[in-house]
Amino acid sequence: MEEMDLLKKLEKVKAPPHFEQKVMARVSLRKKAAERRPAALRLSLAGAFATLLIAFVLLNIFVLQKKAPVGVADIKKGAPAAEVVPAASGQIVSVIETLDYSTEVRSRSNGAQTIYLLEQVSYTTSKEILY
Amino acid sequence: MSMDEHELIRQVQEGNEAAFGQIVTAYKDRIVNYLYQFTGDYQKAVELAQETFVRVYFKAGQFRPIAPLSSWIYAIASNLAKTEMKKARRIPTVSLDEIAAHEVGQNAYSEDPVDSGLLKNLREALSALHPRYRLPVVLKDMEGFSQEEIAQILKKPVGTIKARISRGRRFLKTRLEKAVAGGKAVL
Repeated sequence: MEEMDLLKKLEKVKAPPHFEQKVMARVSLRKKAAERRPAALRLSLAGAFATLLIAFVLLNIFVLQKKAPVGVADIKKGAPAAEVVPAASGQIVSVIETLDYSTEVRSRSNGAQTIYLLEQVSYTTSKEILY
Repeated sequence: MSMDEHELIRQVQEGNEAAFGQIVTAYKDRIVNYLYQFTGDYQKAVELAQETFVRVYFKAGQFRPIAPLSSWIYAIASNLAKTEMKKARRIPTVSLDEIAAHEVGQNAYSEDPVDSGLLKNLREALSALHPRYRLPVVLKDMEGFSQEEIAQILKKPVGTIKARISRGRRFLKTRLEKAVAGGKAVL
């Protein structure tokens, strides 16, 4: 086709001078960027691990630390309430727990309560039951 | 593929930059010209050609010697060119005055004299051709590849390539005939 022969006559161009140098410069830049990527990944992983470790230590110290209850004998001796008893001592640790029995008593009312006093009215000591 | 090219690409796979430099020297003019014929913009063609060779370097390990090295390099260049054309459609067009000034600069590296009127019309018709048809027409009629090689480069069936070349040529012929009939061509 004649027109296709014309296509071959269209202006042809060449690569500019120093083309190879520019390509090699691009290759070097890309290599450096590729090297930086694993180092950045390693640093961020190390940072994340360090953060987790610190968080774990802080959690153990301030939140999960268990304080064993102080025995009555220790309180009498004047030991402070916050004293920690070692868990591996093997002794029986008494647990003092205050309980609210107000909810346990069904017939309890908020009004005035009647108190019954039992008084001995007779000095006889007969044990027979009189009907 | 020649034994030299086979050996060169093998050395590039091993990281030999001197071998890579030889490949760049051997193909730089062809690739720059191919991309220029496709995009119509010399600076863009140079930029894309540089990127093509960078990708050749980093993807050398993926090359399989079942096709010629030239087909592989042209395939990378074609993909880059297609992507660039898609981006260019979203970017506002440049004025004709800027293009004219730019073409004056491009002639410093051209092998042929300035286009005549008919050739100018042909270039305009080529620019108006859709990239889908422009690529195979340029590869066939300007770069001299066979239809089978073009099919390998563009990863399309040979029948599709034949049809696209045929349609592309028909479009160019119609546009040229209209231009000549309209008296725009200056011979």
